[in-house]
Amino acid sequence: MSGNTCFIHRFALGATVLFGLSGSVLPEAARAQEAASDSLRNYEMEAVVVTATRSPSVLRDVPVPTRVIPAEQIQARAALRLSDLLAEEPGMVLSHFLGTGIQLQGLDPAYTLILIDGEPVIGRNGGTLDLDRFTITDIASIEVVQGPSSSLYGSEALAGVINIRTRQPQEPFRALVGVRRQTHGTENLTASLEGMMGRYAWRLNADRLQSDGYDLHPEAPGLTGPGYETDTYSSRFDVSLISGLSARINARFATEEQRNVRGFQQEGYAFTFEENEQRSDLSLSPSLIWQAGIGNTWTLRNHLSDYRTESLLSGGIDGREPEYSTFDQGIRKLELQNDQILGTWLLLNTGAGIQREIVEAGRIAGVSRSNRTSWLFSQQQFILSSTIDLTTSFRIDHHSDYGWQLSPKAGFMLKSRETVRFRASVGTGFKAPTFQQLYMDYTNPVAGYSVIGSADASALLSELESSGQIRSVMTDLAAFETVVPESSVSYNLSADTDWGPAVHLHVSGFRNHVRDLIETLPIAIKTNGMQVFSYVNLRRIVTQGLNAEISWRPSASSRLALGYQFLDTRDLDVIEGIDNGEYFGRQNGRDFRLGRSDYGGLFGRSRHTASLQFSADIPHSSADIHIRGALKSRYGFGDQNGNLILDTDQEYVDGHTLWNVTLNQPLSGFAQLQIGLVNALDHINANQIPSLSGRQVFAALTLNTR
Amino acid sequence: MKSRITSFSMILVLALFVTACDSSSSNDDSQEVIAARASDVPSDPIIGIGSDGRPVGANAFSFFSLRTGQIVASTDSASTGWDLGFKGSTIIVNGGTSGPGNGAAQIVDDIFGDVMDAPENGWIQDSADAYAIPTGSGNGWYNYNFATQVLSPIPGRVLLVRTADGRYAKVSMISYYQGAPETPTGDDTARFLTFDYVFQPDGSRKFQ
Repeated sequence: MSGNTCFIHRFALGATVLFGLSGSVLPEAARAQEAASDSLRNYEMEAVVVTATRSPSVLRDVPVPTRVIPAEQIQARAALRLSDLLAEEPGMVLSHFLGTGIQLQGLDPAYTLILIDGEPVIGRNGGTLDLDRFTITDIASIEVVQGPSSSLYGSEALAGVINIRTRQPQEPFRALVGVRRQTHGTENLTASLEGMMGRYAWRLNADRLQSDGYDLHPEAPGLTGPGYETDTYSSRFDVSLISGLSARINARFATEEQRNVRGFQQEGYAFTFEENEQRSDLSLSPSLIWQAGIGNTWTLRNHLSDYRTESLLSGGIDGREPEYSTFDQGIRKLELQNDQILGTWLLLNTGAGIQREIVEAGRIAGVSRSNRTSWLFSQQQFILSSTIDLTTSFRIDHHSDYGWQLSPKAGFMLKSRETVRFRASVGTGFKAPTFQQLYMDYTNPVAGYSVIGSADASALLSELESSGQIRSVMTDLAAFETVVPESSVSYNLSADTDWGPAVHLHVSGFRNHVRDLIETLPIAIKTNGMQVFSYVNLRRIVTQGLNAEISWRPSASSRLALGYQFLDTRDLDVIEGIDNGEYFGRQNGRDFRLGRSDYGGLFGRSRHTASLQFSADIPHSSADIHIRGALKSRYGFGDQNGNLILDTDQEYVDGHTLWNVTLNQPLSGFAQLQIGLVNALDHINANQIPSLSGRQVFAALTLNTR
Repeated sequence: MKSRITSFSMILVLALFVTACDSSSSNDDSQEVIAARASDVPSDPIIGIGSDGRPVGANAFSFFSLRTGQIVASTDSASTGWDLGFKGSTIIVNGGTSGPGNGAAQIVDDIFGDVMDAPENGWIQDSADAYAIPTGSGNGWYNYNFATQVLSPIPGRVLLVRTADGRYAKVSMISYYQGAPETPTGDDTARFLTFDYVFQPDGSRKFQ
């Protein structure tokens, strides 16, 4: 118990140091320490979180539903990668398309903003930021804000925000070494050093993760899951300069190499390619925090980040040139934020920033392009009475290509002392067009089709036309405009309550209307018969659902948490088409008009998902066990019958449940052994879920100076 | 050149085999409406890998007569003895730039059995710019799934055809793969077309 209290205390202190707010001017933090010291309650609720309001506040009192995965859980479950860890949380569903991403509120991974210590992570491929890229050794906690937060964070924060908070140095000296071995030749070596010396606090982390990969189709060339090697170095440095002024520098550098042989079939003929991909990822985030007065903090944050991939595709057909491609993306960001407490009833957070984004790639028109976004945001947290909080916020973004974007949001919270919280919010979210969608200029050397970005579509098409490559144009080019951001209006409702000190109950509902989804559409036919594609704002979708979670802590060291999500998704244009009788199915060679009840919604969405997390001490030993299960009902895989929508049973992947088990055994005061099973019941679906490798066994040893 | 001739004769052999198995009867002189299924009509099947690395066929159309339900020898390609030509996923009609006949086509979205008449207007002939039955995923008779690399006919899409000699027919594409598997995969042998058709030989627009 004292361990938990101590943890909370440090957590609050960490946030305090981080934001230069002292306990006395931050009532929430003080209350957190107080509340945690006297009860057995779900101490997660008392954690100080920073993502929901872009400022520190106690989880229990944030205006929007927020989930925290605390350090204790992260350490105890011994997940290997960030994706493995998040997949065990209720309402968070892994999705695999050009990497592993998280589906939040039924929206694709592209619609969730990923932050590390509050700064955006770049390097998305087809919208997915591959969460397999991130190891978890330097993570202190993960905060997940559900629902749109574009009013604070701008683009991508449409379904939610996942903020990975790295460990704050908090001990005079600490050294940690870990080694882990796992099935498929997976090996993880990790080393961490941290210290505090007077005004300085520092941490250094190094992590190597490598794997031989796995093969679910031994008869086919190459591996199903290729081997990889990832090296990650991260550091954090905090210094208090003069009274009230402190500085911090976060740095992260990661490289990944992946090799594979890929085979694929085209019209019955098999080809093999050798593929070699290298990715590197560098970010540097210096910041200055100035405590200008009581309840008045200024934060100046600079963020420089570069993401680069190099890939070489060779083989296939004799005499063909190997295809070498690079993609280089960089952002330069500067942001100033002011947090003020005005009287006893208003917390004001105001910020402004500017960001330049540069991309260099062979598939980009002009090879190198850049754009600029500038923004202003403001948030008002009104404490109207002891039971009602009202939070309003808005953000204005200006982008050099698509212009202005306004994102407002309002939410209120009703609370009754410590036990009941009711939250309701209406907000907007948006997702800016990607570089590909704006500037792509690519012709497939094998198949001969072309894809051109919407910002240059008219110019590139007339260029092709004047060189005699276009047979016919399918769209009115004069009407062709640069795509605008995809945007949403969302409603979130939730209720939280405690039943006694040990049980916490959470229910919530959400509804997202997303419009102007960007799609590829053929706009012309070339003289070689192939099409020219570009991007247009086209579809409208709705995702809505209900969540219910219950967690129970029968004792300080045991916990049972159950979560369930019901999800309903639909493409509104498909619904309209069905109502107009434009969609057909085919059964036993006969066509029929589809009705609404035949439509299964968006692909890749499980209607029902559930999760279980169980931890307990093993009696008569010092060991503890952690069991997690994640259930997914069937979900759409892909169209099979030519109507492009999800409507027949063959188009679904069967539902399944994945179980992970971890056993922790402290060996002495400074050593700990962890053994476990990943996918314990060995669920495999080689054709439809190639990302699932079957049962894996691991053992990990950690040595710690503590 | 020699291999080309060999492949031509291979197609001919295949064609004979296919028509031999065909359920449609050769009621050339009858004025009865013909409703039949043409199975596994070769549509320029793959015979090797071309210099650009893509699988290629002989780059030759197979010509099909809706009246006889049979493949027409390619030596008769300049005649009005055929109504539809198939090469890969491309379909041509015997009219416009594709042939000497009066052939044309148009596409409607409806249930095959519910299409009772051929319309009076809206007929398109093949031209240098575009075929009457457009090519490309989603434009004509099929959708191509890049993820599964499977080409599927669009259910509810009916090809209305005016034949070389000005008769009317309706066609529903069933499969692009040999044996018309219910759920084809990338491993199935492509470029063998199966389709249902109704041909009205009496020159009227009625399909019954």
